[in-house]
Amino acid sequence: MERSFRSDLIRLVTFLGGVYFFLEFILPVSVLESVGVEALHEDISYGFIVFSSMAMGLGLINLFLVHGSRIIFQRKDWMYSFVLLIGLVCMMSSTVMDWRGGQGVADKARPFEILREFSDVIERDSTASREDVPPLEIRTEALRDATFARIAELRANIDQKTLLTFSDQEELYPLGETYIENLREILSGTEQAARDVKVGDFSSSQALAASLAQVSGFIRRIEQLNYDHSLTKKTYDFLYQGLFVSLGSAMFSLLGVYIAAAAYRAFRIRSFESSLMMVAAVLVMLGQIPFYVYISEDLPAVRQWLMEVPNSAAFRAIRIGAAIAGLVMAFRMWLSIESDSFSKERRG
Amino acid sequence: MGGVEHASLGMILLLLALLVPVLYFIRRAQSGTEIYVRRIAGIDAVDEAVGRSAELGRPVAFNTGLTSVSPTLYACLGVLSYVSEKVARYRSRLIVPQYNPEAMAIVEDVVRDAYRSAGRLSAFDPQCIVFLSESQFAFASGYMGIVHRERIATAFLFGYFAAESLILAEAGQQVGAMQVAASVSPEQVPFFICTCDYTLIGEELYAASAYLSREPIQLGSLCGQDVAKLVFFGLIVIGVLLATLQQLYPMLDLKNVDFWISYKFWS
Repeated sequence: MERSFRSDLIRLVTFLGGVYFFLEFILPVSVLESVGVEALHEDISYGFIVFSSMAMGLGLINLFLVHGSRIIFQRKDWMYSFVLLIGLVCMMSSTVMDWRGGQGVADKARPFEILREFSDVIERDSTASREDVPPLEIRTEALRDATFARIAELRANIDQKTLLTFSDQEELYPLGETYIENLREILSGTEQAARDVKVGDFSSSQALAASLAQVSGFIRRIEQLNYDHSLTKKTYDFLYQGLFVSLGSAMFSLLGVYIAAAAYRAFRIRSFESSLMMVAAVLVMLGQIPFYVYISEDLPAVRQWLMEVPNSAAFRAIRIGAAIAGLVMAFRMWLSIESDSFSKERRG
Repeated sequence: MGGVEHASLGMILLLLALLVPVLYFIRRAQSGTEIYVRRIAGIDAVDEAVGRSAELGRPVAFNTGLTSVSPTLYACLGVLSYVSEKVARYRSRLIVPQYNPEAMAIVEDVVRDAYRSAGRLSAFDPQCIVFLSESQFAFASGYMGIVHRERIATAFLFGYFAAESLILAEAGQQVGAMQVAASVSPEQVPFFICTCDYTLIGEELYAASAYLSREPIQLGSLCGQDVAKLVFFGLIVIGVLLATLQQLYPMLDLKNVDFWISYKFWS
């Protein structure tokens, strides 16, 4: 009984989901906008991302179960599982630390970004004549005071050499020093822009906002330089770029050898079809190489005809057939005509 | 939404022309009308392939490649269900490496149901469904490792594959496995033809499940999609004729099929 309710619920949700996407595809945008679906569509799409993230957790659990049990019970080839789980844990920790490092860089610049946003908000609220916010004079004064306070704080940090920590990166000292000098100049300019801000004069507050954006950009650049040479980033780059990407490229390069082996098997003349395939392949290969002129001037044209006429026709036929079959299958999934077919027990 | 509108009458009529025959033939098949499906050698070989693994005492691998939750996955599930049931009956071992965690949950359910149908639910080992990686080549290397370590007897490569297809198929070839492949991506079909014993091309993958199960719904839908293909074929012929006529007599100003499909009768 419970199973029947569950499957009915799944069918209903599948059908409603299908109806939504079908109508979203088929109805004019003007209709969708008038019923308010246009605005909701992005949120609905985010919902699918959430489901995908939950499924990723399933994959992780499966990995730990399969390989964890193999290690615990020391089944055949348990060492491979051990290496896999160690690799997984290392990569996960490194990625989390890299994410936190990136957040740290953003956090350092955040106070100045908040001030810039505040400057924009003051202008927007004033233009809109909002009355539920503090008066313009008080807000402008607050912006100015906060800017001075942040600049003073940052200056003290630069003077104490706490902003930059290139302790073990001597080659970065000259670059770091140049950045700090530039930042000092920008800070002086920002201080001046803060002094020049006048109540109700939005061009002066816009100049301050531009200056604040420059400061936050510079802080990000300095922090990023610092972070790029930290142990965390180096570890992450070693594991991802140094190992993972390189191993992926190594796997891909295997294709070169495998294609040669597969071609050898395919080109053995065993039947009329394989002979035809071999002749076509030889013509295509000869038409591709620069030495074709020594054989025949027409080879590139023959190659092009083979690729564009018989080959394209076959490709299109396969694609159209598969697309229609896929469409029909999708239709069956939408109406849940499919779901009973996978097991005889359910069929009965 | 991207501002693209698809609400053309031609598009709706085309969808109906594709879907109505499917519903009609499903109804006909359900009412008991015999539907003929031509022989497909690759699908006929499924029983032989599973039997071979039982004889050799080595496992069967069913690889759905890079297939995510999509109609292609559902087409593969019908075959997976059949293969799992056979494996359960022959008391052989099944390994289903997975690339997509969302698909994995569905695959596990289907394999469990197949074991239950064979009356061997206790023999079902959830760990036979192994999540490898969501990275294409990490998945390929994981599969290669499994094939070599387990020395699989039979490999089914059903679903969507990309550049890793040859790596997967060569791994099976190296251990002498009997391989049956089916791909909807035409670029990978030549690799499978070179490396596998049997290859199902394009839509044959969608036909496989109907062929194996002889389910009225699936047979009817297979027949319906053939009619839908005829609709497309007719449109192609009409399009070619119209284009030729337009080329010969430009003064006629004939509108081709694509114009009528995308023509908006309302703004």
